[in-house]
Amino acid sequence: MSKADLTSRGAPASHYILAVTFGAIVTLALSLAVAASNREHFWLAAGITALCVAYPCVSLGLRVFVTDHTIARDVRGEESVELTWMRRAAAGAFLDVLVTTIVACVVLMFAGPVIGALPVLLALIALSAVDAGLRYFVIRRRALR
Amino acid sequence: MRNDLAERRLQRGWTQADLAAALGVSRQTVISIERGRFDPSLPLAFLIARTFGCRIEDVFTDSTV
Repeated sequence: MSKADLTSRGAPASHYILAVTFGAIVTLALSLAVAASNREHFWLAAGITALCVAYPCVSLGLRVFVTDHTIARDVRGEESVELTWMRRAAAGAFLDVLVTTIVACVVLMFAGPVIGALPVLLALIALSAVDAGLRYFVIRRRALR
Repeated sequence: MRNDLAERRLQRGWTQADLAAALGVSRQTVISIERGRFDPSLPLAFLIARTFGCRIEDVFTDSTV
């Protein structure tokens, strides 16, 4: 379901406080969990983890407690053109990833070095995400031109 | 498909956002339909016709004919 524009409505202040509190608690929990696995550099690990997860945790809190008050959902979002754009972008990205994977396999089989699975999988994730995003951007731009 | 959605909307003094809100879709959807770059689904076409108090074929015409 796609989302309509941001509305002028706001959420009650208590919901923002709840969202930030939620984010802080989850950040603290994750930081302590990571730090517990690295007792030698406990505070360093906790600090770095906190810096990394604070933003997503607070964002999650805002998503859970605030956005239902500030974003109006399209009643018939599934009929919206954005869904069509997303499907086209995803289908194109899938074909790109398929072709890229096949070509890369053939090249590596005959001429390339041996590569670990993790970098390859990470590259595939990055390729598919960037490809789908770019395709969506181009399709949207063409449609609204 | 051609359509006269923009004319009908303007006759009523509605903005694209007003029509989008009435149909329950995004404003981009209304823009795309008006420009003939997106063919709505049958349920949405029925809803558009009902919103303007007419039949589907009054709003949409086959551009190949």
